[in-house]
Amino acid sequence: MHETSIALEILKTSETVLAQHGGSRILRVKVAVGELSAVEPELLRYAWEAVTVGGPAEGSRLEVDFLPARQFCPTCGPVARAPGAWVPLCLSCGAPLLVEGGNELDLVQVEFEVDGEKP
Amino acid sequence: MSPTADVRAQILEANRQAAEALRTRFLQEKTLVVNLISSPGSGKTTLLEATLARLSGKLKTAVLVGDIATERDADRIRKLGLPAYQILTGGACHLDARQVQGALEKAGFGALDILFIENVGNLICPTSYDLGEDFKVVLLSLTEGDDKPFKYPAIFARASVALLTKVDLLGIVDFDVEAVERQIRTLNPHGEILRVSAKTGEGMEAWCRKLEHALVAKRA
Ligand SMILES: [Zn+2]
Repeated sequence: MHETSIALEILKTSETVLAQHGGSRILRVKVAVGELSAVEPELLRYAWEAVTVGGPAEGSRLEVDFLPARQFCPTCGPVARAPGAWVPLCLSCGAPLLVEGGNELDLVQVEFEVDGEKP
Repeated sequence: MSPTADVRAQILEANRQAAEALRTRFLQEKTLVVNLISSPGSGKTTLLEATLARLSGKLKTAVLVGDIATERDADRIRKLGLPAYQILTGGACHLDARQVQGALEKAGFGALDILFIENVGNLICPTSYDLGEDFKVVLLSLTEGDDKPFKYPAIFARASVALLTKVDLLGIVDFDVEAVERQIRTLNPHGEILRVSAKTGEGMEAWCRKLEHALVAKRA
């Protein structure tokens, strides 16, 4: 389960962002996770709870923006499908489908508190 | 409303930088680097033994083996008289670029033609970590079931070579090779698919030729 290593990387960067802005506590962190990034959002949230204990991000919320990969038919265009369901061939013309996107693994936003200021 | 900072940073930025440093180094040293990824038991070590045996005498090769806790796989390679170094990940299910940097310092392989990185047996976690390699190879053995590519699309989409291993079992085990190849092509239309058997030697020549061509291309 590499979600723990990834949660630790998110924490490290978030703490740097917090320090840069003179914040005291992290309230919410937003990440973008692509469908093909091999990261499980649910496991990432559990890992986040575990790695933030005892630090400035303890009790904070990890918001995961899950981005689907897109499948395209070279002749018919975009193909609708359920998340995780990979369609090998175009249902209309039988052509092998192509895949685009879904590899995102980004830290997007950090919401924090500054000591002495009312939120 | 609390203050928020918009960040837009790659989560694996530290790994990306380490991988970039490795890539530069491998380019200077003109070493081709191949990252092998598969589930446990797909025959990675056996394939490597057969590959190294074929390349030895022609090319200078070495292997970095990632394992959670044992030295067994590296020992098998060393028995062939070839340099191997085991990276014990201490429980982690993947290798990262910093571990590779550290291992290369300790292993002291010298100038190499091809460095193989045998990643930890796992089709998910190693997928996210760039190790500065020239390309990833995913192995899928005929004993694993023929629905794997769609179950683990990320690695099949990212590996530029898919090796179907243990093809000597074709017709013995229930495995629809054509269906699997179609799945892989869907996920990665530009990737190469090779059928190999380390046991009978089938496909091994094509695989070794592929490696030699990639090395020549890198040095061109
Ligand atoms: Zn179509």
